[in-house]
Amino acid sequence: MNIKQKITFAAGLAIIVTVFIIWIVNGTYVFTQTQVLIEKQDPLFGTTYQEWQNKFIWGLDLTLFISAISIIASTILFFIFKDKRKNRNEINS
Amino acid sequence: MKLILKTSILIFTCFITALPQGFDVKAKGVQTFSFKDDKGRNQASFHSITPFDEVDGLTSEISGQVSFDVKDVKNTLKGEISLPTASLKTGITMRDKDLKDPKWLDAEKYPVISFKIVKVTDVQILAPNKLKVKVTGDFNLHGVNNEIPVEVTMTYLDESAATEAREPGDLLGVTANFSITLSSYNVQNMILGKRVSDNITIGTNIVGTNKF
Repeated sequence: MNIKQKITFAAGLAIIVTVFIIWIVNGTYVFTQTQVLIEKQDPLFGTTYQEWQNKFIWGLDLTLFISAISIIASTILFFIFKDKRKNRNEINS
Repeated sequence: MKLILKTSILIFTCFITALPQGFDVKAKGVQTFSFKDDKGRNQASFHSITPFDEVDGLTSEISGQVSFDVKDVKNTLKGEISLPTASLKTGITMRDKDLKDPKWLDAEKYPVISFKIVKVTDVQILAPNKLKVKVTGDFNLHGVNNEIPVEVTMTYLDESAATEAREPGDLLGVTANFSITLSSYNVQNMILGKRVSDNITIGTNIVGTNKF
């Protein structure tokens, strides 16, 4: 594994770890949400009711999607960098 | 001895039936309340929880009426509340589409979800203007009608400066929570019991006015 391959591997791994951390911090929801329910007080009746509020919640679906893209991109780059080094060695010999 | 026992039972029965079964408010006679609300305050929600996923849904498009004699809610309460199936929102656009799909609630074929009061089984007075009422009613979902018991809390507010700010007329606040099983409404789906629970908790929080 050359230095470029190592960087590619580390970058891919860092992206995957980061998106999983974001997913955990966001509350480990399965699906990404763009709206959440918030509770509001009705002072007249002393009850609570709910309302939709625009809020982005990072879900597992988005986490897996970005992880998959990261794996695919890293794999492609890994082989591209490997081929270049191999070709250079062949020319030198 | 038997005579004393019979008399006691008779007195007790008379005492129970003579107890107030309604509100102690300014209003008198039969009142009709409409729950049509253009501001979107009235709402019905559902909650599903499984180990894999949690789904919350909400609609503010409630309509319907209830009427009752203020002093005798137990024997006079009647009415129906409904909502359009297509108005339910879950916070995820794709899931909202799935919900209306024929595999789930089939909003095109069954456009309305409703609850019609059949009878009142018990009235408990929490305050002069607040009652806890046990109601049995027909819950209609996905074209299937099932009679279910629902515990309802009704709060009656006479018209005042505070109520005027919300809506004209006397106001009736109604909250209720109950559960249904989707499979008993012919909602059959492979995901049922996995991503979506068969047991769904439903809640309503609505305010109606008698001036509409």
